Amino acid sequence: MNAIARDVQAAAQPPSPELISEVQQFYYREARLKDRQDYRAWLALLTPDVHYWMPARVQRYRRDERAPSVLHSAYYNDHLEHLEKRIARLETGTCWTEDPATRTAHLVHNVEVEHTDDPDQYRVHSISVVYRNINEDEEHTLHCLREDLLRRVDGQLRIARRLLTAQQNIFMNKSLNVFP
Amino acid sequence: MRPHEQAQPPQDYFRYVNVDAGWVDRRIFWDEAIYERELEAIFARCWQFVAHDSQIPNAGDFVTTYLGEDGVIVSRHTDGKVYVYLNACPHRGNKICFADEGNARRFTCNYHGWAFSTAGELTGLPSEREAYDAGDIDKAAWGPRRARVETYKGMIFATFDPDAPGLEEYLGDYRWYLDAFLDNDEGGIEFLPGTIKSYANANWKFGVENFIGDAYHAWWTHDSGGRAMMGGPFPAYDPKDTYHASVNGHGWEFALEGFGDIAILGSQEVIDYYAALKPKIAARLGELRARLFGSLASAAMFPNMTFLPGIHTFRMWLPRGPRKLELRVWTVVPKNAPQSVKQAINIGCNMTFNPAGTLEMDDGENWEGNTRTNRGWVSRHEKLHYGCGKSRQIEHPELPGIVHEGQFNDANQRLFYQRWADLMNAKSWSDVPQRYAPRYAGRPTR
Ligand code: FES
Ligand SMILES: [Fe+2]
Repeated sequence: MNAIARDVQAAAQPPSPELISEVQQFYYREARLKDRQDYRAWLALLTPDVHYWMPARVQRYRRDERAPSVLHSAYYNDHLEHLEKRIARLETGTCWTEDPATRTAHLVHNVEVEHTDDPDQYRVHSISVVYRNINEDEEHTLHCLREDLLRRVDGQLRIARRLLTAQQNIFMNKSLNVFP
Repeated sequence: MRPHEQAQPPQDYFRYVNVDAGWVDRRIFWDEAIYERELEAIFARCWQFVAHDSQIPNAGDFVTTYLGEDGVIVSRHTDGKVYVYLNACPHRGNKICFADEGNARRFTCNYHGWAFSTAGELTGLPSEREAYDAGDIDKAAWGPRRARVETYKGMIFATFDPDAPGLEEYLGDYRWYLDAFLDNDEGGIEFLPGTIKSYANANWKFGVENFIGDAYHAWWTHDSGGRAMMGGPFPAYDPKDTYHASVNGHGWEFALEGFGDIAILGSQEVIDYYAALKPKIAARLGELRARLFGSLASAAMFPNMTFLPGIHTFRMWLPRGPRKLELRVWTVVPKNAPQSVKQAINIGCNMTFNPAGTLEMDDGENWEGNTRTNRGWVSRHEKLHYGCGKSRQIEHPELPGIVHEGQFNDANQRLFYQRWADLMNAKSWSDVPQRYAPRYAGRPTR
């Protein structure tokens, strides 16, 4: 059982079609902001206490499997201040590897919404697919299982936690210059 | 043919490397035949890091890794000792263990079920009495080939070459530098859980030579990452009190300001922790090494282990053909640090050095670029310039190794490629020239 599942309990009632649609639209907007590289607007979709976590995968035998610990090496183990540093890097004007710019398409699939004990928080499972095209002709695709805690703040959905599990054992590329 | 029974090398590899003139031929980053010779003359011969004690503390704990392209299992047996042996079944050759790490009482091959102890002995064959007659197999002789194993301050190294010098001689005076990283406090270091593994379409040597001595690139390549992490550009380059030190092809380039790399982690708590620790480090290792640790620095042990002592990233560059590498990255922390310091180091290290890191993302592009341009027949036959700081060799009263002044220098890279060519040329270890007389031979460095 992972971190988010542990501290939010799924409530019994199923999500309404309106809620599902709202969450989907939220994710599509999030994806669009990332594809347009409007990262400041993307940061505004996160809560101030956000935890954005993508721990390293370790391939173990089934009997030996264990969840990553807090001290686990991770691609992302970020709070808002860390994500802001990453965005600040892109804004320096000397981020040579992003000039020319990377082309991306962020896709969100299999969106499944669950109520929690807190009426303003939802647990949402999804699959994130990021297609990247960089340099002359390089294509990369990454699939991540995604488990979010979305929180309604002043009526608007915000991402309070995101746990990403990359479905590659060895990460297949030299860089992960996207936020799945 | 056993690894140490090598044929005469097909050519003189100093045709590709000229240390005095300061150039390297680009074909060594592309050519298949040169790569095959590297597997034989370097990776089947040199001591290579396979695990840290903290990754396999208990009996049955294991990790799988590679010496060159030879997969190995590294496991702690019930006798407490670590054994390293080929991850390949002596029956029909299948891989024995498919996990990256874990705990096991034995390893059982998927194909016909041959079973191996965690010391790498063949212990059982299914249906042995029905299938095999007396004299068919001597089980004691048919375990997977074992490597030699030696450790230095918790770091476990292995080699398949029975003629290789002992680890202490192989490291030589490089131990003096390693101690600044591995042994700067009681308890030493530990590896945090989780290995970040990634591929890059680059020759393995570009990764290593970048860490062995390329401070020069940081100011340009990493300007954006440096600004993001530190709020401003890297401090102006100081040609005084900065050095390259090289021993047996291992290298460490460094300043002596004491906190440059620690600051890049972006955590005041970590800076405070080391500020308090520095007097203890000085008492333990001397004033000079207390300043050395944590300064802007990078280091590499020949052939393919690198680390940034102050940023606490530790990495292996596993060759995957001349045009591809597998990078494995760990975060190391002082074992005796409080949990919050370990976590701050973990976050800072992951922020900077992995495929999503604010510094490493810029490196990967460069190394792939260095490699890919060699597709061109004309490009491939050009030379690359490694002449920076040729005349700056000095004798230093305290710093061991072949020492050059200036962190901006190609000295450690030139001496890495000298060692590379020495090994590529050598028929066995006895042919490898001694290029430096160690100060600490037979003596501890702390
Ligand atoms: S190949 Fe391993 S038991 Fe046959
Ligand atoms: Fe770099």
